[in-house]
Amino acid sequence: MGVPAFFRWLSRKYPSIIVHCLEEKAKEYNGFKIPVDTSKPNPNEVEFDNLYLDMNGIIHPCTHPEDKPAPKNEDEMMVAIFEYIDRLFNIVRPRRVLYMAIDGVAPRAKMNQQRSRRFRASKEGVELTEEKNKMREEVIQRGGYLPPDEIKERFDSNCITPGTEFMDNLAKCLRYYVADRLTNDPGWHNITVFLSDASVPGEGEHKIMDFIRRQRAQPNHDPNTHHCLCGADADLIMLGLATHEPNFTIIREEFKPNKPRPCALCSQMGHEIKDCQGMAREKQGEHDEFADTVPVSEQEFIFIRLAVLREYLERELTMASLPFPFDFERSVDDWVFMCFFVGNDFLPHLPSLEIREGAIDRLVGIYKDVVHKTGGYLTENGFVNLERVELIMQAVGVAEDNIFKKRKDDDESFKRRMKEKKKRMKAEQGPSFVPGGQFAPQALGGRDRPMAVQNARQAAYEMRMKGNQRNQEAAQSLRAMMKNGKSPAGGSEDMDSRGVKRKAEDSDSEPEPEDNVRLWEEGWKQRYYKTKFDVDATDDEFRKKVVQSYVEGLCWVLRYYYQGCASWKWYFPFHYAPFAFDFKDIKGMFNNFEKGTKPFKPLEQLMGVFPAASGNFLPQTWRALMTDPESSIIDFYPDDFAIDLNGKKYAWQGVALLPFVDERRLRAALADVYPDLSPEEVRRNSLGSDVLFVGKSHPLCDFIRELYRAESHEDTEIPAELCHGIQGILNLDEDPILPDKPVESPIPTLRDISSNCAIGIKFKDPQYDDGFVFKAVVLPGAKIPNKVLKPGDWEQSNRGPWRPQLGFNPNRQQAHLDQSGFRKLNHYVDRNQGAGQYGSGPPFEAQHRGGQYSNAPPPRNYQQGNYRPPQRDHYPQNQYPRTPPVNAIAANPRFQHGAHGWDRAMQSQSTAYQQNQERGRGGWRPPHNQQDSRRGGHQQGFGQGYGLPPPSRRYNWN
Amino acid sequence: MATMDVEDFIGQNRQLSDLVETFRSFSESEKQWKGRREFLFRNINDYEDPHLDQLLALSMVWANHVFLGCRYDAVLLEKVREMAEGIVVEDAPVFKTRDEVIKQQQQKSCK
Repeated sequence: MGVPAFFRWLSRKYPSIIVHCLEEKAKEYNGFKIPVDTSKPNPNEVEFDNLYLDMNGIIHPCTHPEDKPAPKNEDEMMVAIFEYIDRLFNIVRPRRVLYMAIDGVAPRAKMNQQRSRRFRASKEGVELTEEKNKMREEVIQRGGYLPPDEIKERFDSNCITPGTEFMDNLAKCLRYYVADRLTNDPGWHNITVFLSDASVPGEGEHKIMDFIRRQRAQPNHDPNTHHCLCGADADLIMLGLATHEPNFTIIREEFKPNKPRPCALCSQMGHEIKDCQGMAREKQGEHDEFADTVPVSEQEFIFIRLAVLREYLERELTMASLPFPFDFERSVDDWVFMCFFVGNDFLPHLPSLEIREGAIDRLVGIYKDVVHKTGGYLTENGFVNLERVELIMQAVGVAEDNIFKKRKDDDESFKRRMKEKKKRMKAEQGPSFVPGGQFAPQALGGRDRPMAVQNARQAAYEMRMKGNQRNQEAAQSLRAMMKNGKSPAGGSEDMDSRGVKRKAEDSDSEPEPEDNVRLWEEGWKQRYYKTKFDVDATDDEFRKKVVQSYVEGLCWVLRYYYQGCASWKWYFPFHYAPFAFDFKDIKGMFNNFEKGTKPFKPLEQLMGVFPAASGNFLPQTWRALMTDPESSIIDFYPDDFAIDLNGKKYAWQGVALLPFVDERRLRAALADVYPDLSPEEVRRNSLGSDVLFVGKSHPLCDFIRELYRAESHEDTEIPAELCHGIQGILNLDEDPILPDKPVESPIPTLRDISSNCAIGIKFKDPQYDDGFVFKAVVLPGAKIPNKVLKPGDWEQSNRGPWRPQLGFNPNRQQAHLDQSGFRKLNHYVDRNQGAGQYGSGPPFEAQHRGGQYSNAPPPRNYQQGNYRPPQRDHYPQNQYPRTPPVNAIAANPRFQHGAHGWDRAMQSQSTAYQQNQERGRGGWRPPHNQQDSRRGGHQQGFGQGYGLPPPSRRYNWN
Repeated sequence: MATMDVEDFIGQNRQLSDLVETFRSFSESEKQWKGRREFLFRNINDYEDPHLDQLLALSMVWANHVFLGCRYDAVLLEKVREMAEGIVVEDAPVFKTRDEVIKQQQQKSCK
């Protein structure tokens, strides 16, 4: 689902679904890297059976990363992909199956989105190059220094589309990779690897779903398989829920907003391309030994436990006194369905439903209200009950008017607040010679009377450093200029004026999109249809068409998630959605999809999604169809297209108004050029097959070997007992990977595999009859995992304090540091980060800030380890002993009830401050042992006394 | 051709107009189709059967330009404009192409 906000919303609302991954890093001894033995137990204290990789989520960041310099050539990209998979494998350590799925040809419904992405990507690429060139010239003229532009062909990310040479090559490389790991990596020895490359039709994640669905429906499937699916798309969460497998976990990169990116021009961090000044690079480390280390921390991974999400949903969706029996599994399906209204890859979202405005909560609320009237669930096994959906839509429609009005109000007040904030900031900012911090001038008689200056030396030092920074910058640019052999004279002036100028103007320029629809004003409906569809709102027929298409779309999408692709041909032929209000009499609007539709061939799809600028990925005569004015499909390839910002700020957020592809005309035009394909291109254009690989020690290996020996070219079923109950149909590969047959490395920097131990064979998912319906139920024999969330009636039950579960293991041993550990930690941890890391409890914070000592560094050390801000369920467990120590209350006045409590707390605080101040004097120099020991001791004393807080009083659990 | 003329034309050329009617796409509004239909009627004589798809492409180039805001190669645009001469589209929508949006935003951010 192309809704980045969805995951953010979900993880905020249901925080316990997230578990941070523990990753064992490879160790290095004397320069030798010792690889991690992944056959050892998983450090995350959970064992996964199957790992599925939605490869496109890996290919993109590995080929054109955003947070580090791009790989120089294709070989480096492949190696980066291998390393990424290795990393994931190390974290997840699957024991049965590794399934790698690359996006193949997608259903037509997806084509519009693909077209829009590729047309934009192509334009963005050109713009970036232009900007680079322009800035490069400017910087060099100004005397900056830039590393010579490597003769590096711009990597057109559009080549990550099935049918291109790149994808073909990638498939080859992955075969090599699998063979290598099956041969050499002990963690791989017993797993079955499936590779579904770009020649197999279907989007990666949906090929994975198809695999799971078809395995589940056969009797040998193990209902307690623990699945782990890798990918960042929010729709993986939906897909995972749709399987109704009880053990399903998603792994993805942790999303960190505003990660620093290297400048596209000079590859240094800390500025963007438009602010590049061409400074000489600073040495990294004393002898530049860290030159190639990336300054940003490596991207970390998180698990999303769908079992916990299901717990949350169960709480939210459970309804009492229904006119029909409540079935949680069915209500999950309805929830998934409602999420589609808010956004998916195949349909534009309804104008009134914005995830940021709590659209899903609103829908759930409506759903619970309406479900009494509907007499049943909205969906069953991926089929939609339109009559019931209409009731929901009508209920949304009633609120639509108010939603738009509220949106406008919120927007206005937000803008007003921002404006006021800006104004305030501006007013507060004096000229540069006015000192800041505690030396800042104070108005007489103000609220905060002037206070005694604290830590004057430190403050002065900081101010000096700040001033120095400016000098340093100037010096650096001077150095850079000398390096380039130009006089610094004109340059620096120019630069200064530039800097100042920009600053002054940046402040007020907020691109303000114009809005002709004004959804908050009377007549919004007419205006919407007029501006978006260019029809009158009275044109009922047209509106009905839009609604009908949308209804079909909802049915198609749900079917796609639960049963597989119902029609390769269907698509939503408009750029915008109708209003919820318009969903009237939709019951008869949809019957069924055309049967027996076929996916496009890879090269055909390339013709359908590429702009003419990416034509170089296509054969000559095919390419000509994109540019020749006489071409009978020239209308598919506009040079430029309209963007409707649709209330958004930036071009990439807007709706790209691209024409739709006429399939008949496309096929007719291609019929003429098909004969021009070379045999190689014919091969690339053909539909391929999934491939299964196992290593020598796998029980299936001998079976497959026998098939090759007998040259049996018939479909052969996998004997279920050989492969953990996995079923499917095997077929001999034309150019197979066989044991003891050397595998040539497609990458020059990697070695050939001379004594190969892997074997590969074509694989087909189990087949079912045409009308077969995959049931969306929990399988018999499946054990639902233990509950993780705190039961709602915990307080009443008198079972003692609640111990939240942090990882996968409910009985996890929590590591803890002793005194010396904290000393060491304090020694190394950057003090400025401490506050964030250890969290300062709100009560402490309140006393520290704004008080007399507000300029002293925030004391944080005595909170280490025993108090963290309430993060719902994420508590360090064993820091709260089950029974509080007897002396807890006496030792810690904070929790003493009664009149003196507060005073005494303050007393103890002030002792803390004395320590603090002492520390402050010298603490900014490299650490002294003496201080550290004092700190450690202090911490300990305080920490031990800090007993168990009475939960009912201090924390709000819900 | 004024609206009346088109109606007359359809009356007199049932067969042709039935054929042309099959070219209407599902998502085309009445207004858009009227314009494109006229475009087809005007030029269909110059594009006999094997070249019919080319005419359809050109009609779409014109319609995409007028109703969707797409821009094509200048020569091509000129050609379809000539082919469409005389077709009156009332109240045609106004668009900003991507290039224009980007340019505008760039100007705003660095002026």
